[in-house]
Amino acid sequence: MTGAEILMESLLAQGVDTVFGYPGGQIMPVYDKLYDYSDRLRHILVRHEQGAIHAAQGYARVKNVPGTVMVTSGPGATNVVTGIADAMIDSTPVVVIAGQVSNAALGTDAFQETDFVNLTTPITKWTYQIRRPEDVAWAVARAYYIASSGRPGPVVLDFTKDGQTGLAEYVPARCDYIRSYVTDHEPSDALLTRAAAMIDAAQRPFVVFGHGIVLSGAEDALKAFLYKGDIPAGSTLLGLSSLDSDDTHFKGMLGMHGNLAPNVMTQNCDLLIAVGMRFDDRVTGTVKTYAKQAKVIHIDIDPSEIGKIISVDLGILGDAKQVLTRLTELIGSRTRTEWNHFTDDIKAVEKLKVINPELRPGDGAINPGEVVDIVAKVCQGDAIVVTDVGQNQMLAARYSRFKGVSASFVTSGGLGTMGFGLPAAMGAKVALPGRRVCLFVGDGGFQMTMQELGTLMQEGIGVKIVLVNNNWLGNVRQWQELFLGKRYSATRMLNPEYSRIAEAYGISYDSVEDRADLLPAVERLFADDAPAILQVHVREEANVFPMIPPGKSVSEIMLNKTEWI
Amino acid sequence: MGEPKEYLYVITAYTENSVGLLSSIAGIFTRRSLNIEKLLVYPSKVEGIHKFKIHTRTTPVRAREVVLQIEKKVDVIRAFAVVDDERSPREAAIVREFLKNRDKNNI
Repeated sequence: MTGAEILMESLLAQGVDTVFGYPGGQIMPVYDKLYDYSDRLRHILVRHEQGAIHAAQGYARVKNVPGTVMVTSGPGATNVVTGIADAMIDSTPVVVIAGQVSNAALGTDAFQETDFVNLTTPITKWTYQIRRPEDVAWAVARAYYIASSGRPGPVVLDFTKDGQTGLAEYVPARCDYIRSYVTDHEPSDALLTRAAAMIDAAQRPFVVFGHGIVLSGAEDALKAFLYKGDIPAGSTLLGLSSLDSDDTHFKGMLGMHGNLAPNVMTQNCDLLIAVGMRFDDRVTGTVKTYAKQAKVIHIDIDPSEIGKIISVDLGILGDAKQVLTRLTELIGSRTRTEWNHFTDDIKAVEKLKVINPELRPGDGAINPGEVVDIVAKVCQGDAIVVTDVGQNQMLAARYSRFKGVSASFVTSGGLGTMGFGLPAAMGAKVALPGRRVCLFVGDGGFQMTMQELGTLMQEGIGVKIVLVNNNWLGNVRQWQELFLGKRYSATRMLNPEYSRIAEAYGISYDSVEDRADLLPAVERLFADDAPAILQVHVREEANVFPMIPPGKSVSEIMLNKTEWI
Repeated sequence: MGEPKEYLYVITAYTENSVGLLSSIAGIFTRRSLNIEKLLVYPSKVEGIHKFKIHTRTTPVRAREVVLQIEKKVDVIRAFAVVDDERSPREAAIVREFLKNRDKNNI
């Protein structure tokens, strides 16, 4: 078999059914073989390689298996770099197979040659150049194992032309062990007993959880833990949807634009239990004042995260599901009624000062938050919500409501990649075609990867695009308004006629300006399963609140432009 | 409080002998603007295992962070940091023991 055919067999052996990609000169032998495997491997031809990697990320995030990307060398490869960095910081399993020039041409500045191994080394879990067909099966098995095990992340296989065209025998390979790579951290009984004693002794324990809950499938374990200890919890942006929005122990989203209650609880708890999260600065504000009054237990699968940002009293290396399950057995059954109601007043303040003005402003232009709220009403919590980056993202996170199904919120958290939304939504819909996928995207981010409308058209991928248009780069504009004296440097945006763009792609389109039309338009949007765009013209200079200004403490929160708590 | 004190650290890493690992480890230093004062890469006392020895001037917190980042690389087996004047002769023994346990548990 050729290396290209061994690649096909190896991908099938890994259970790969979908590949997002774009052909080109140095990956042509692989694409030629793909032609013979098109009944078993669905290839989705994107319009730009960045679309392929974000689609693979969306696919991976909702399905919890690695997404697969196939691109050519040189520009094809460099176009996926943004998505690789995004997948690295958001722990998303993806495998990128990039073409590369022939072995003899390596290092000669050949046509479309780029040093892709060196380019991607700092932003991947593992990068490997396959130069011989004999190495294909081994490298593919190892790539998928590394991408999906431990703390997941991106892997790059740089596949030279000789590797693709050379002949070798196909020997199926498996990989579930690498001696230098430890993922099976088993916390000792003694450590867990100590943790349980700390939890039992705490009067006001508070759980902050993140993406690790979704990645390890620890949703039920988390819930059991919270219920047994009667412990309230807050979620990071990427942890959203792993606990139902209306769960009595769920206090909301943490951080800069999060809910007041979990931020206040962070500063008032006596024990902070962090699970599968990494204390991002958007969560902590300035670390100088973050949860200083509390003891800290940090549970994570990545040794380099424990003690990286916050010094901990007890670090537990391990899988979130396993650790939480064992801790639940060890802790005492308790009621902590008073502590669970500690933030009732502050919740009422948020409702009065932030939520009501956003969602029920009375008259005037539609607020962006209202759009999310109406979609949540229509979808009843069962849609996969995908966001772009910026105000649309924060409002989608704040006002979406999740019920019953985890991994239902897909967003670019760590890297904050504008343009992530549309292709990621595409990948999510391909992964789970039976579910509704709703994308919230601003006019800025939409135009960054809008070319993927062509992919939706060609493949008939039923993504529902809610284009929240304020004719600004709203998030930057908000910072300019609040912190830079309204000096609106390069944030005003003149937009194209989106109806005509939708028409050109044969995608149904609707537009709303008046509040009264919003609910019927959203109901129409979700009436079928075809791709569609709903443009909502929203209040132009709307701001997202509450807000912990950058560099401030979690306890210094702006409720609006003039009031703080 | 003042700036935390810097020391001359010797960071050692026991690794597989794979292409690109030097660049990958060097990147950890570059990203943190840490200068490498001295670098040695050679076969270690543990059979089939290579050893990196990197001298760098930094704070204890940074040194710990760098060690964990190095150890996070798939092809790195173990990494250690010691201040120059307190070398640990036990490193090779720790690595041998680690590999023995890893392989034993994977039967």
